[in-house]
Amino acid sequence: MQTNDKCAQLNTCTSARDAKAAVVATNTQQDSANIEVLVSHITANAATAHPYVASSTGRDKSAFRRFGISDVVFLAIMAACMLLSGAVMPLITQVPLFGIIQLCLGLQFSIFPAIGLMKVRKVGALCFMALFSGIVLVFMFPPMFVCLLACAVISELFTIVLFRNYGKNIACAFASALYMPLTLPFLYVWIRFFYTVEDKAQAGQAVNAYVGGDVWIAIGMSVAVLAVCVLGATIGVKIAKELKKAGVIKK
Amino acid sequence: MTFFSVKKPLNPAIALVCGVFVVVFGLVVATQQNAWYFFVVCAVVMLIFGFWRALVKVGIALVVIGGIFATISYFANGSWVAARTMIYRFCAILLGMVGGMSIRTVDMTRCFQQMRVARHITLGMLIAMSFTPTLRTEIARVREAMRTRGAGGILNIRILYRALLLPFVMRLVNISDTLALSVETRGFVMERTPFVVYRPSYVTIFHILYMLSIVGGALLVILL
Repeated sequence: MQTNDKCAQLNTCTSARDAKAAVVATNTQQDSANIEVLVSHITANAATAHPYVASSTGRDKSAFRRFGISDVVFLAIMAACMLLSGAVMPLITQVPLFGIIQLCLGLQFSIFPAIGLMKVRKVGALCFMALFSGIVLVFMFPPMFVCLLACAVISELFTIVLFRNYGKNIACAFASALYMPLTLPFLYVWIRFFYTVEDKAQAGQAVNAYVGGDVWIAIGMSVAVLAVCVLGATIGVKIAKELKKAGVIKK
Repeated sequence: MTFFSVKKPLNPAIALVCGVFVVVFGLVVATQQNAWYFFVVCAVVMLIFGFWRALVKVGIALVVIGGIFATISYFANGSWVAARTMIYRFCAILLGMVGGMSIRTVDMTRCFQQMRVARHITLGMLIAMSFTPTLRTEIARVREAMRTRGAGGILNIRILYRALLLPFVMRLVNISDTLALSVETRGFVMERTPFVVYRPSYVTIFHILYMLSIVGGALLVILL
């Protein structure tokens, strides 16, 4: 088979896998070199022509890309890490201090999402992590599962609006830093609703019951939670950068 | 989740719904004096349906942890009502865990596949729920390596970062790549292809009775 015929065949290939299979069929080194160049062109064209190519490459301009098996597996493992490190949550939920849950869990719930987002730079990755970690939280504290899932969606929406995709490291850090602090207003709404249903006499005083009558405690705790989450996101991005430099996380 | 294993496990969807109901309703009625009707009925129903091992373990946790928090609550508020409310809240959370935590991970995945839940979600849930023992092993390995190298204690932030976090995350990345390859090798695909669920789980009269019994306990609290 002539080189021109092989190149013509490769032009009809719609995936890198087919193109590489065609490369295997070549029988001269020169043909292989030419065809490899053509394969790289086809791969680049396929990536831009089909927005739903399942790849884990970093800086694609399209906002929504399909998740592959390796992406889902890594996100699930990160979610398992979040769960394991958050095992003290059932005890902390009973401590009557506004934001104590977020303060205790903020670090790990920002480090691992940051690492997950730096590897799987796709919109929806944070939602998947929240879903995978939340399925166990459903048995322990269902409102927290709803909170985390809703906050993951909101955090991703903010990130898409500001950065369009996760191509930049700052976008990954932003999403993972914003994730846990967003649960604070949800917690306020839950406490208000919870005490209103439980005891109508305490309606409207729910947050005061947890804050101890001083709103500055709530503000201070919120600032502390935000600081912890920003620190965690920074650490997560730093870890991911070092792993990328070492070649463990590939571009 | 074999910590709370039982001979005749519930349908995962029923266990999930009942677990959430027990937690939410229990927390809502925790301040009422007669909330104990609901928790006693739940405990009896779980005992009848074979969750006695789980109840023993949950009972120990309730006595120890619930007791500590109830004591703190009593001294903080100066009333038995606050301590009782704390005990009731722990009952709600721990009893809600019993049904759900007795479900095997693979049964829950099969149940969600029967309900045609997306494969991304079932695969991720399966891994997230069953990966905890592997994570513990990996952390133990990394710490053993730290001790062998004489890296120092993990209370030092630099050592914690360099010698524990970095190697641990590196191990996780390698494990995830291997696991993904293993899953693909076994023919798992994300696209919608025809499939058959091995050992499907169906809702039986056994499960309906369980659910109705739990709801009956809730009605006792509301009506009495």
